[in-house]
Amino acid sequence: MAENSNGMNRRKFLTVLGVTGGGAAALSGCSSDSVEKLIPYLVPPENQVPGVATWYASTCRECPAGCGLHVRVREGRAVKVEGNPDHPVNAGRLCARGQASLQGLYNPDRVRQPLSRTADGKFEPIAWEDAIAQVAERLGGSPSDGVRFLTGHEAGSFDRLVDEWLAAFGSRGRVAFEPLGYEALRHANRTVFGIDGLARHDFAAADYVLSFGADFLDTWLSPVEHARGFGARHGYRDGHMGRYVHVEPRLSMTAMSADEWVAPRPGSEGLLALSVAHVIVRDGLASTPADVHRVRPLLDRHVPETVAAETGVPADTVARLAREFTAGPSVALAGGMGIQHAAAHVTAAAVNLLNYVAGNVGRTVRFEGTPTGRPAPYSRLVELTSDMKGGAVRALFMHGANPVHGTPPGLGFRDAMQAVPFKVSFARFMDETAQACDLVLPDHDPLEQWNDFETRPGVHALQQPVMQPVFDTRATGDVLLQVTARVGGPASARLTVTSFKDYLQRSWAALQARVGDRRPFATFWTEALQRGGVWREPSTQRVTLAASAGSLEGSSTWRLPEGRLALIAYPSSALYDGRGANRPWLQELPDPVTKTTWTTWVEIHPETGAELGIAEGDVVEIASDMATIRAQAYLYPGLRRDTVAVPMGQGHTAFGRYAEGRGANVLHLLDAEPTAFGGVATYTGVTLRATGEHAPLPKTEGKPRQMGRGIAQMVTLEELARGEGHGEHGAHAAPVPERIEEILDHWQEGQDEATKYGAYEGEHPRWGMAVDLSRCTGCSACVTACYAENNIATVGPESVRRGREMSWLRIERYFEGGENGEPFEARVLPMLCQQCGSAPCETVCPVFAAYHTPDGLNGQIYNRCVGTRYCSNNCPYKVRYFNWFDYQEPADPTFAWPEPLHWLLNPDVTVRSKGVMEKCTFCVQRIRDKQNQAKLEDRDRLADGEVLTACQQTCPSDAIVFGDLNDPNSRVSALARETRGYHALGELNTRPAVTYLKKVRNLVEG
Amino acid sequence: MATIAREDQITRPTYQEITRDITATLGRPSRGYYVLLGFVLVVLAIGAAALLYQIRFGLGVAGYTPPVMWGVYITTFVFWVGIAHSGTLISAILYLFRSAWRTSVYRTAEAMTVFAVMTAGLFPVIHVGRLWYAYWLFPYPNQRQLWVNFKSPLLWDVFAVSTYFTVSTLFLIVGLVPDLAAVREKATGWRRKLYEITSLGWRGTDQQWRHYTRAYLYLAALAAPLVLSVHSVVSWDFAMSIVPGWHATIFAPYFVAGAIYSGVAMVVTLLVPLRKVFRVQRYITVEHFENLAKLLLLTGLIVGYAYAVEYFMAWYSGSPYERAAFWNRAFGDYWWATWTMILCNGVLPLILFFRKVRQSIPALFVLSLFVNLGMWFERFVIIVVSLSFEYEPYAMGHYTPSWVEWAILAGSFAWFFMWFLLFAKNFPTVSITEVKEIIPMPRKQRAHS
Repeated sequence: MAENSNGMNRRKFLTVLGVTGGGAAALSGCSSDSVEKLIPYLVPPENQVPGVATWYASTCRECPAGCGLHVRVREGRAVKVEGNPDHPVNAGRLCARGQASLQGLYNPDRVRQPLSRTADGKFEPIAWEDAIAQVAERLGGSPSDGVRFLTGHEAGSFDRLVDEWLAAFGSRGRVAFEPLGYEALRHANRTVFGIDGLARHDFAAADYVLSFGADFLDTWLSPVEHARGFGARHGYRDGHMGRYVHVEPRLSMTAMSADEWVAPRPGSEGLLALSVAHVIVRDGLASTPADVHRVRPLLDRHVPETVAAETGVPADTVARLAREFTAGPSVALAGGMGIQHAAAHVTAAAVNLLNYVAGNVGRTVRFEGTPTGRPAPYSRLVELTSDMKGGAVRALFMHGANPVHGTPPGLGFRDAMQAVPFKVSFARFMDETAQACDLVLPDHDPLEQWNDFETRPGVHALQQPVMQPVFDTRATGDVLLQVTARVGGPASARLTVTSFKDYLQRSWAALQARVGDRRPFATFWTEALQRGGVWREPSTQRVTLAASAGSLEGSSTWRLPEGRLALIAYPSSALYDGRGANRPWLQELPDPVTKTTWTTWVEIHPETGAELGIAEGDVVEIASDMATIRAQAYLYPGLRRDTVAVPMGQGHTAFGRYAEGRGANVLHLLDAEPTAFGGVATYTGVTLRATGEHAPLPKTEGKPRQMGRGIAQMVTLEELARGEGHGEHGAHAAPVPERIEEILDHWQEGQDEATKYGAYEGEHPRWGMAVDLSRCTGCSACVTACYAENNIATVGPESVRRGREMSWLRIERYFEGGENGEPFEARVLPMLCQQCGSAPCETVCPVFAAYHTPDGLNGQIYNRCVGTRYCSNNCPYKVRYFNWFDYQEPADPTFAWPEPLHWLLNPDVTVRSKGVMEKCTFCVQRIRDKQNQAKLEDRDRLADGEVLTACQQTCPSDAIVFGDLNDPNSRVSALARETRGYHALGELNTRPAVTYLKKVRNLVEG
Repeated sequence: MATIAREDQITRPTYQEITRDITATLGRPSRGYYVLLGFVLVVLAIGAAALLYQIRFGLGVAGYTPPVMWGVYITTFVFWVGIAHSGTLISAILYLFRSAWRTSVYRTAEAMTVFAVMTAGLFPVIHVGRLWYAYWLFPYPNQRQLWVNFKSPLLWDVFAVSTYFTVSTLFLIVGLVPDLAAVREKATGWRRKLYEITSLGWRGTDQQWRHYTRAYLYLAALAAPLVLSVHSVVSWDFAMSIVPGWHATIFAPYFVAGAIYSGVAMVVTLLVPLRKVFRVQRYITVEHFENLAKLLLLTGLIVGYAYAVEYFMAWYSGSPYERAAFWNRAFGDYWWATWTMILCNGVLPLILFFRKVRQSIPALFVLSLFVNLGMWFERFVIIVVSLSFEYEPYAMGHYTPSWVEWAILAGSFAWFFMWFLLFAKNFPTVSITEVKEIIPMPRKQRAHS
């Protein structure tokens, strides 16, 4: 399609409209048949009005959590994804990775057609029919176990289809490998409870959260669901809030929300959990189930006093934790990949026991039956690799997995692939694994395909194509069926369906019978499609201790080798295991903790850094027994001195322009040998060496501390209960004499009077926002949502180094304490345009590009802006962003949306050109949209909560509330009046429309 | 009344000598002149190429690092506007105060003023994001009913600078008229044509002189307040904002003093080589330099005082932002810029208390270069250092200029010197008429034949 707007004329415009209209016509029939004719808009397709968005329900497949999606489609193109409000997992919210799924769909580095490797090792396009014939020929008719199929985590019809398809060829060689497979948790659930599966944690029911390294707001299991429950229970409300204690050598993003951080010696978390359990049982703090006697001997060995030497946590802290843990409904969590050392299964088992003795199992920790589709542990992948090396594998199929990048190189997966004569990848991107394959048969993007996903027992979610495929790709399910049809014979006899959609509908017909729905299938199907799936309340399994519960195998601690530093390789909050690395939004999303983008860093405690002569930005060599990698140093006080941490996800050698050649792959440092529980140990001992090279880190943070300026404010629960901590405590925290107070009041009155001049006539709304810092976790989903909604350009690492990132909304992260023995704390605060009532930016603009709208917004007229940048100088919040380059010009090297990435641009929002200032508009396009709608419906005013800004809409913990401040009954007015409310830099008299509610820390014992 | 030359130094020139000596400066240019002009044009071309590069790819090619949204360009703008100030001071204010010593230096100062404003005026345009729309800053009638924001100090700046340019250009041209008539007589070719037109039919009649001196007086009266107002307005670009380090009531006098200070320094920088090359030591004497040095000392002391007061106010205000901003100036990332500024502008000029220094032309020349450097750094410190350290710690940043900015800065000097070189060879750089005015009337018997 011609996309060059410069060359747009009437005829071309109509052509484009016709083509997109055709796509839309196909969509309204929910058909994936390709449209070959250009259909002009003479007869508009039903439900497709130009300029009016259509929403489709689907399921997010960016991680195994499986959140529900609503995809906004305009003129046949998906332009925004949002959470499905009806979905039981995410209830309308999404994380940053989910928001960025559009950049997978429109990624310019997608494999655009089937590719075949030629003799000289290059890839050449090949026709689908030829590719399928090639696969069919290779497989032949004879059944053989030499066919292997490696997939990612699948749970639903595709999962079954792959198994059946393999069976049709006489193979049972299926491996479902998920890099973050939580093998330790699964292992512990098997040993302690005899259950093969993962538990569901009910944060909304837990007053007390004790996390042993679980980054449950970050990547652990189902972060969006956790954040929702955690925000509801831990967030301050009417004098109450939960308490959260985090146990880990590192203060992760999740731990930034903790009320207390306990940093035990790395590898000893399990002992700590066992000693807490010991105290509970010893002191009879909870009514423990009867079968606890089976683990008494184990618990009795872990007396806090003796364990203290090992963990470095004093015995009275353990006793206190035990008392707090049993004071009310609580939940203990065991780390995912964050603390997955060789003894991680012991930690997980110990946490299971802790939950069990406290009576949490069955209440806040629930097992809800066996889910379909379980990922195999890493050890299965090791077996597969040795099979491959041994020549037992004749043909290898791979879908949704990138083991070459996602496993330690010691495994030798790439070499093993050489030994396989026929390798087929269904990868959507040319990643490291696909590069080593003979055939690449690109799958549809999850947003282009039919599928389903059983997120957890009882939650059957559907995926439906929301638009025509962007490229010449095919759904892998269809390809598999076409292969069997081509092979014919017994193979095709076992799989009689012709398309994957039919296969899917058959399994949904069976599901309909299972759920006891007696309506016609078409009704059931349509309704499921509209809702996004079918969900039932699952039954909670009764859980008792297994026979093996009392005998934890293996060493119960992992010991750091002498003279080494403990390395934590943790999943990146934005890039996950590395699959997000080709999304520029995620690459440019500042890490919630270090605020670094586009590269790999190593977090080092400042004192350790000083000892080793390492400063921020220094290039450091990190050496383990396996390998050496290089990363830039970030000095982080939120670590133990004997620990360093490196995020996963970078160091790609393939995977497209945004991923390639950035940072290093931390997995290189890890031992490929599977641990006792069958996973990869993400902990290892390393040494650091400064290389003498230095480069500024591409980070968005200026100064890490707020210099007592009271920008991100905090109050303790105790202070609130005492009636303290109210009002504004900005830079002028000192008590003010009464006389001065009077003068200030008088001055304020004068100011109030003065601001009336020049105000608009008539009644208008005053749009405002309240941000509850006791709920905000810093997860940064709002940041990516803002990028998606407002067509914000990504600028790349060089520009980030120069502070030129364009994020209208940023999460500021400030460190507190951590020096002179004070406890270390990190606070976060979403900083966006405060839409000041008395805005410093407006008066200084010589051309009125910055002006005040009647509804109180600080408008910015892009096409009037000359670019003096005075507004930005005068903005105390620094929330104005300048277009230093032309990010919208395809001919420029700085073009931010290479074809077809620009398809995701929101048609309701201008794409800004070089030399103009831009800023947060409170999603003015959404406000106007709802106002127009209200006008059509003859309503004068909008209902409270009718307008949702993009950041508010996606916030997993519901920290952001938007509405009309002039309406005293609106939610935002009520929050703005709260005693915790303050304005950032309020003493400047800018009269912000954003009220922050102070973070509350629950330091109260018990 | 001061005399043009001290008796003990050189003999007093006669009217004929004056005309002869000064018109001699307009003679055939030497090779050196062409080499210099060529060099200046090359540098100007480099600057222009850098500007074109910046226009093509965007302001990102400059070193801007938010929150530092104003950098070398605005620094250099204020620098050149400041330079422009001593010209009008010397020509208008000293004229009104009847300071006779101004006569031999004012022409150079005035030309410098006009060229400095012409240089300064480029920078806001170079600096804006969409320079092709820079004309939107003028309130011109248009059918879209777009208007400018009269509350914005930037708009005041547009008026202040354009007014100043208009008045100082008029003043220069009017002052030139009798001199042009004088050189017209001996000129040939295109230059004769040029002088015929620019001398506006001057014949030196009594009536013309009467009108001329009146007009000059009124123009001087009109220009004098501009000396104070223009740089006050420029200072309000900063003072009207809420940026810590900018928002100060002292800014107007502080900037005016600074402007005159830097302007006088630039006059010295220009006059020292000029007097040598043009052999006009008889007209521009050590006494002139001493007077300029006194002016330099006075304004330097005011500037030094302003520096001290800024720090005092930052402390006295009690505002943690102001205090932090000034602490950052002295001891933060840019300490070297601040201390360069204090050393060059505040400390070094104190040696002017010694008469020996004031009378040493080499010493004055070196000192004037330091003051020029220091005054550029003063603006850099005020603009860049303040912006890099405002309210929001998370959003603080460190700016380092890029090669594009240095190229354009060098180009601006080339642009200025190009005009000056062209002026110096085509127009009398020392006023023939006014120098004649201050020497005693020639008596008949002493006149040469």
